[in-house]
Order: sequence, then C-alpha cells, then structure tokens
Amino acid sequence: MTANNLSMVSWSSNASAQTVPAGVADVLNATHNLRRQIRGDLHEQFVEAIYADAERIANRAVTRDGEKACPTWDRAIDHAVTSRVWGFPLMLALFTLMFWLTINGANAPSGVISGLLIERIYPALRDGATQLGFPWWLRGVLVDGMYLATAWIVSVMLPPMAIFFPMFALLEDFGYLPRVAFNLDRMFRTAGAHGKQAMSTMMGFGCNAAGVVAARIIDSPRERLIAILTNNFALCNGRWPTQFLMAALFVGSLAPAHLAGFVSAAAVTGVALFGMLMTFAVAWGLSRTLLKGEVSTFSLELPPYRLPRFWQTLYTSLVNRTIFVLWRAVVFALPAGAIIWLSGNIRFADASLAEHLIHGLNPVGLSVGLNGVILLAYLVAIPANEIIIPTILMLTVMETGATGLGQGAGVMFDLDSGASIKSLLQNGGWTSLTGVNLMFFSLLHNPCSTTLYTIYKETGSVRWTAIAALLPLALGLLVTFLVATLWELSR
Amino acid sequence: MSLASPILAALAVAWLVWPRRGLIARCRHALLLSDRLRREDALKHVLKLEANRQVATVESVAGALHIRSDQAATLLEDMEQGGLLSYSEGRLLLRPAGRELAVHVIRAHRLWESYLAEQTGVAESEWHQRAERQEHFLSRQETRALSARLGYPQQDPHGDSIPDERGELDGDCGQPLNAAPLNTPLVLTHIEDEPELIYAQIAAEGLSAGMKAVVIEKTPKRIRFRADGAEHVLAPILANNISVALLPETSTQELFAEEYLASLRPGQSARVLGLARGCRGAERRRLLDLGFVPGTIIEMEMVSPGGDPTAYRVRGALIALRREQSRLIRISRATPLAA
Repeated sequence: MTANNLSMVSWSSNASAQTVPAGVADVLNATHNLRRQIRGDLHEQFVEAIYADAERIANRAVTRDGEKACPTWDRAIDHAVTSRVWGFPLMLALFTLMFWLTINGANAPSGVISGLLIERIYPALRDGATQLGFPWWLRGVLVDGMYLATAWIVSVMLPPMAIFFPMFALLEDFGYLPRVAFNLDRMFRTAGAHGKQAMSTMMGFGCNAAGVVAARIIDSPRERLIAILTNNFALCNGRWPTQFLMAALFVGSLAPAHLAGFVSAAAVTGVALFGMLMTFAVAWGLSRTLLKGEVSTFSLELPPYRLPRFWQTLYTSLVNRTIFVLWRAVVFALPAGAIIWLSGNIRFADASLAEHLIHGLNPVGLSVGLNGVILLAYLVAIPANEIIIPTILMLTVMETGATGLGQGAGVMFDLDSGASIKSLLQNGGWTSLTGVNLMFFSLLHNPCSTTLYTIYKETGSVRWTAIAALLPLALGLLVTFLVATLWELSR
Repeated sequence: MSLASPILAALAVAWLVWPRRGLIARCRHALLLSDRLRREDALKHVLKLEANRQVATVESVAGALHIRSDQAATLLEDMEQGGLLSYSEGRLLLRPAGRELAVHVIRAHRLWESYLAEQTGVAESEWHQRAERQEHFLSRQETRALSARLGYPQQDPHGDSIPDERGELDGDCGQPLNAAPLNTPLVLTHIEDEPELIYAQIAAEGLSAGMKAVVIEKTPKRIRFRADGAEHVLAPILANNISVALLPETSTQELFAEEYLASLRPGQSARVLGLARGCRGAERRRLLDLGFVPGTIIEMEMVSPGGDPTAYRVRGALIALRREQSRLIRISRATPLAA
C-alpha cells in the first residue's frame, strides 16, 4: 500500500502554483469550475453518451434483414458444450485426446531430431573441433557444453510444442476455449481466481512461459497475477519425461508386474492432479494475503463460433508461441551448457567443482529425501527442465565413478534402457523415496529461467518474480521433507 | 578487547542520541506524532458534533478518543493555548484555525475512503480503518490532487458529503432506520462506520448508501426491510447506525417492482435501468464499457454447468457475468421484447 500511496501522491501537480499567462489561467479556471459542476463519474457519462451516439448512427446506417439468423447454430453448439450432462465429459474427452496426441505424436519427431542433432552432428562437430586444433577446454565448453545442452532442449522441447500449441490455437480460434472458462469458472472463483485461468493453466501444460504470456487474456489485475504466479504448478512438457521415467522406475516397480504400467501412469496423473490442487490452494492463499488490495473485476466474453483459419492459425501459433519459447530457451541454454561442462571439469583439491558442490548439497538433499546430485542438477539446469535427467545421469556417473557409461565429465547423456538407468541410480544411492520425491520436486520448484524472465517481462516487477521463484521452491522443500519424514516413520 | 569496548560504547550512545534516527529522537517523534493525531481527532470530533447541532464537552472528547477525562482536559488546554479552540462554560467551540484543520482532516478521510473504494481492491470493511490513519498524513496539496484524480467526488462511499477545502461540514441528514415509518419508500443516506464491529456486520449484509429501501416489519427484536431487491433482517442496534431519508416521488409499488439482472430466467429479456451504487471502481467501468448502460436490452442466454457465471446477450455479444455482478445491475421487464 505505501508504495501505491507514494506513486499516487508524486504526480500531484498544482496548476495554480505554476506561473501561467493570465488568459490561460482564466481558461484553466473556467474548465476547473465547469468540471466541478458535472456531478458523478465523468467516465460513466462519457460511456453512456458514446453508446447513445453509436446506437443512433447504427440504427440509421445498418439494415437488418428479418429474424436474427446468426445465433441459431451458435446456440445449438453452446447448449451442447455447456450443458449439465455433456459439458464436462466433452471437455475431458477433448483434452485427453489433445494430450494423448501430443505425447504420442512427439515421440517420433523427437527421435528424428535427437538422432540428427545428437547422434550425427554432435560427433561431427567434436571431430571438426579436434581437427581444427581447438584446445580440449574450448572444445568442451563450446561443443560438449553449449551445443549439447541446446541440442538436447531443442529435440525434447520442439516436437510437443509444435503439436500442442497449434491444436490449442485451433480450439481457441474456433471459439471453444472461452466456453471452457465459462464451465470451470465456479471452481476458480472459490479459489479467488478467474475462469480464464483454465486456459492459461492448460497452456502451462505445454510450457509455463507460454502459459504466463497467455495470462494476458485476464483483464483483472489481481486474477492475472494469480494466474501468473500459479502457472508453474501446471506440469509443463519439459517435466513430463522426468515424471514418466521416475514413475516407471521407482513407483511402477513396487506393484506386481502386470499392474506396473497402470500404477506408474496413475502416479504421474496423481502428481499432475496434485499440481492442480496446489494451484487452487496457492490461489486461495494469495488472494487473501499478498494480493488482497489489488483491483479485481470479472467479465468473460464468449465470441461467436467460426471455422478456424487453418493455415494462418498454424503459422501464427508456430511463430508466436513455439519459436518464441524455443528461442528464449536456447538463449538461456547456451550459458547453462557451458556452466554444466565447466562444473564437471574445473578441478581443485582432487575433485571437480561439481563433486565439491554435490558433497556440500548432500546433507540438505538427504534431509528432504533427495540428494546432492538432484539439487545440483536443479541448480545448474535452471534454464530448462528438459535437461534435468541427462544432467543427473552425468553427475551420478561422475560421482560414483561408474565406468563404461557416458562420455566423460561434464557431458550430458541419456540411456535407452530403463533398467540400466535404474541400476546406475541405485549405485548412486537412490531408493524409491528418492524417485517419488524427485517427482514431487520436479512439480514444485522454481520455474525455469525462461519462465522467470517471462514473468518479469509480464509483471515488470522484481518482487513478483522473486515470489514466483521462491514460493514453489519453499513448497517443494516442505512437501519433500514431509514425504521423507512420513516415509521414515512408516518403515 | 580493550579497543572494542569503547567503540561498542560509542556505537550504543550514537544509536541512542543520533539526531532524527536515534532511539531517543524516534521516541520523541512518535510522542509528538501521537500528540498531533490526538489533537486532530479531537478537532474532528468537535466539528462533527457542531455540524449535528450538538456541543462537545471534555467528557465527549474523552469518550471519542478513548482516553481518560484528565488526559482529555490537558489535551484541550494545550489546544486552547495553541489557538485551535476556545473553551467557555464547559462548551468547546472551534476557532478559525481549528475549524480549517478539522475540515481538512475530515476531507482527507472521506477522500481516502473514496480512493480505496474506487481505485483499489481493498475490502469494504477496511476502508474506514485505513482512512482513519491516512487522514493525518495527507497534505493540503495531496488532498487536492487526490480529489482531482477521483473526479471531484461530492460524497464518500458511506454517503457522507465531502467538504470543500474551506467549506462547511454538512450534518448527517435523515433519521435512523429504527425510526422510519413502515411501508414507505426510503433511501439509505448514511452508514455510520463506527463502531467497527457493527459496521462490519452492516457491510456484510451488502448494504450501502444510496440504496432504496422499504421497512416491512418492526418489532423490538428486529427490523425487516427490503433494500435494492433483497430482503434484510437487522437487530435494532445495527439498524440504528443506518440513516435514511424519505423518497416522496417514488411509490412503494415501484420499489417492489425493481428487479436485478440475477433474477432473469433463461430466454427472458429486460432493459437495463442502471448500475447499483454498490458497483464501484474498475468493476463499474468494465460493465459500462461492455455495454451495460441504461436502455440496453439484455437477454439471458445460458447458465454454466457449474451453476454460476451466466451468459447474457448484450447488443449482439455474449458476455458471462458472475452472480455478484448481475445482482448489481438494475433492470425493468417492461419491454415489448419479453419472450
């Protein structure tokens, strides 16, 4: 409030204190007196006058033929998609289909891109650098660090986004998404949020940075901030792979073999739902504490349906969302790749920087059911959640000194077989608790740097950016600590 | 060790006596400040009573400021010496300087309440409390700027008139709701914002100045009345803090016929009469911008499966509103379009 007060007071200008020519002063006085004669809200009188004028002009200039023909189709669709019986099942079916298409459809192109960027171009670059006589450290920083991190992010991130965002944009263009907001508003309202947050959250499942930008559609300042600050609780596609892997290795294996697939799928769904729960809980808390004094309004326009302009929508969604997000991610990935490689290769006192950090972070990590490797991975892989698993594998190999795996210190890699990943991790001291807690921590930690930067751009405030980073991190440490404590108690 | 202790001692002394930032200076500042606040509160009290044709006494000042009578006496003595008040035969009268200051403080208070109501999302129950503090910290110039920014409001959100810089303070008009006649159109003119506990209960009922009301039933235990389309039941002690005035031009039938958008059923349509007083600030401007202006025809289109937002067709566009908003849009069904 105090900052608000100051800003309000600082612009205060005093016309009479300035020296103005006599004629101007008369005009100013006259307008001042006239202004005081208008009772009530000036804005209100303007709006009413504008509407009256517009109506008069429209009545004179526009002819309407007979009965309104337009809303009949719209009405039929509206009554189906917002009906008590069909509204929710239809929504659920549509979004399940969208996620299924995204997850399954992305596998093949991801494989092709990673085959090209990591299996073909990467060795070629490495050889090229060697032949050109680059010193080993320069080759390491440029090729093993910067290039590899970027290649990894592009291959994991690009295909799902290129599938998800256009589908989303088509639904948006068709006019269906505002109806989703209309259907779900009741739920969001109890949490103090806006129904349109349903859309920014959905977008967040694709990418949180895009979700934060999507919160622009909410015109009420308080609800928009809520949508921005809680978007991180929507599990973005960079985190899905971590979830699937951990669920398969550490949760599914607890169940009998024929149920393993089902149990691990249920575990991932459970984590995603837990994220939704956190969205509502945090929104509820924020709207009653930090955001109490912010202005809040509600309105939701339901535009008429129309056939999507397919190619145009496809193009704008690729350029505006996919390429935009990818570009920001790449910008942040380049330095991160360098840092990851350097941390594995700068050595002092008989160990690499990464090993020192792992030992330093281990006590904290173990106390919340994680370990130093995971915390360090989240520290250096702030730019993108996509490189968490490769970074963890690289660090684990370095720490355990496993041989025959990976490609040397500071070089990220992935393994094809789940079993070999599991045995590697178990050698690194991982238990089922570590896997489960990594799932929770992957949901609840600071957003990636791309998202944080986007939040800063959208809110223009360091304070909200800091809250957006620290709040989920604190929640994550709390939840993992509780899970670890319960785990210990139940044994 | 031998070097550290004199430095520490010097630091401690500096921390105590440092000009303007030291502990002693801070304490003195706080004392002076609380002294000033009390003086201004006392002046406010005297002016308010005077505007209602009552006379302030030492006891009434002590009661209003929650201090002992002897403290009040000392305070008033100081103020008399400062030329703010004169004191004769147990009656307190304002001197010009005191009157000017009192009007300024009340003006600042009411403008700040208007600001909180119009341009922030601060809850209604907190307006008074916050303004009670802010009134002492707004300069004349800041108050002027605030008034300009709010479009020179004449009334605060509780229905009290905001005095001009050198103007007079209007007394509370009207009578308490308890004393109002049955079945007669009334308008709520003022809701007393003190004591806070009672005000919070009235605000929770959604009552605000400017609403039209009719008293339906009066018993020693409760008062039942209709205000802006909804029925309310209040204990007399609460109703006593609501002032009302008669509305001679309106008939009771008209008042009962007044309806709100929330009461439309699917397929029905109506004409907008205006936005209720309780709809303020950004919310009000948003609704106006969307076309909820007097004369617009609105048709209720559909209800969300969740039961709450309802979609209305407004000038060809489909717009969903929540119930708490559609309750604030006054309508009339007297249109040929009714389906």
